[in-house]
Amino acid sequence: MTSAKSSAPTLVVRRVIPFPRERVFDAWLDAEKLARFMHPGGTWRATVETDPRVGGRFRITMYHTTGAPEGVIHTGEYLLIDRPSRLSFSWISVNTDNRATTVVIEFLERAGATEVVLTHTQLPPNQIEGHRKGWSDILAGVATELSS
Amino acid sequence: MPSTVDRRLDNVYAAIADPTRRAIIQLLTRGDTTVGDVAARFPMSFNGVSKHVKVLENAGLLTRRVAGREHWLTLEPEPLADATRWLEHYRDFWDASLAGLEEMLADEDAVRQTPASRRRARRR
Repeated sequence: MTSAKSSAPTLVVRRVIPFPRERVFDAWLDAEKLARFMHPGGTWRATVETDPRVGGRFRITMYHTTGAPEGVIHTGEYLLIDRPSRLSFSWISVNTDNRATTVVIEFLERAGATEVVLTHTQLPPNQIEGHRKGWSDILAGVATELSS
Repeated sequence: MPSTVDRRLDNVYAAIADPTRRAIIQLLTRGDTTVGDVAARFPMSFNGVSKHVKVLENAGLLTRRVAGREHWLTLEPEPLADATRWLEHYRDFWDASLAGLEEMLADEDAVRQTPASRRRARRR
């Protein structure tokens, strides 16, 4: 079923960060900095290894206050490094059912600040083209149904 | 090796990849309907619609019950909920990470400024 590729869900998260693009961008390639800021949802500590070049890999282990002592491991490969405007990497963890998903981050200049637009799609990197339509428009209609 | 969950999600994505099938789902969010009713709304043959209904049925997105000559369809949104759970998880995950990034950069500046401001204070 090749048509499965054309409608995987896509998530877009945005935030304006009041710092220049170079600094916001560089934090994503720096193991020590990643370990300091990647503390989502109950993570109390993270360890990070990176090989920040296209084709290089990273590994982020997050330890959660209520989670398994061995932590949750996230791995991926840098797909695109275009400082300071675009960064893309694959992303694999138990929360992606251990399959490759794709993250694209755009860093937009906003009068000295940076708008970060992070797009995470469940598609693997080699199937990223031409899938956008389909998922978002269906959710609007179904959300009502799910919440009732 | 893809898990059962993967394969089920693949079926769901395949099912909703098609615009006609998405339209059928939208229609069913308004309530149960018959295959005949669905066919009447789309510019395609009854058989064509029937095939789409079967794909949705196989993906677990609808169930069918036969009443006389009519086949009634009911939307089963649970597989879509499974597919959106992934999105919910990562929405919080990246939101928190971007907030953490901003906080970290602010902390860096605070640390950087402290020795300088101390020096200034001493000079006074």
